Amino acid sequence: MHDDEMMDRLLRDAMAADAPRLSPAFDARIMRRVRPRRLTSMGRAVIAVYMVVAAATAVWLMRDLDVKSIVAAVVIGVPVAVGASAYGRRLTAGH
Amino acid sequence: MRAEPASAEPASYADQADEWLVERCHSSADDAAFAELVRRYREPVFRLVVSILGQEFAPDAEDVAQDVMLRVHHSLRSFRGEAKFGSWIYRIAFNQALNVKARVRYRAPHVSDQALAATPSQERSPYDQLQGERRQRAVLACVGELPEVYQSALRLHYWLGASMSEIAVMLDAPENTVKSYLHRARQLLHAMLTERGFDAR
Repeated sequence: MHDDEMMDRLLRDAMAADAPRLSPAFDARIMRRVRPRRLTSMGRAVIAVYMVVAAATAVWLMRDLDVKSIVAAVVIGVPVAVGASAYGRRLTAGH
Repeated sequence: MRAEPASAEPASYADQADEWLVERCHSSADDAAFAELVRRYREPVFRLVVSILGQEFAPDAEDVAQDVMLRVHHSLRSFRGEAKFGSWIYRIAFNQALNVKARVRYRAPHVSDQALAATPSQERSPYDQLQGERRQRAVLACVGELPEVYQSALRLHYWLGASMSEIAVMLDAPENTVKSYLHRARQLLHAMLTERGFDAR
């Protein structure tokens, strides 16, 4: 038997196991990851109310603070909030 | 021609050309168009990834195929249509699988090479069975030492049962080139086995 044919037979024997298969949930998993998460109208309303209340509370709490303290709070608070948000998104994406 | 203007509503996404679906993803952020691309390419991308990762890391193949699809989704805007969409996605899959393989190469294998071989025949003597198993393990070990494109072509052909034309599309090479990859890979394997003291007969 020719060497090439023998190797052909040998490879067929060596690779005779069942091939792995994709799980049936593959498509659904992909689409869950690529679809932007859209809030329901209720969710949007809750977020809007929260923002208004949070802004009003912040203004009320800072009413007696001097300008320097407010600037310092904004300078520190904004990057911390952005970083925490990015970290949270990364954690969620990991799942 | 299957493609229609991007503004027209599709009768069925399954009837549309890849380029039309990509355009829909661009212009309308159409999830259904992307879902159709995933449905069309999930199997060949998965098989290509499996063929590169090999038997040891086959359990990682689905995660890699998923990453490929997500990367394609994120990069659709950079797809200029200069190459076929299929060639583009296979190139992404090939490179992604190679990167993952390089990362996990030194990790403990999930399954032994033996798991790939057929169940030993009961008609053969224990000595013959043992010899056969040793030879199969040696074949698989040698396959893993071949150039990546040869490995992929061999696994697609012998393990995953892909036709020459399918392999040619996945590896973005003419069919004659794929045949020559396989021929050359068999020659190299024969030489490697002989060097290790195995008789291919």
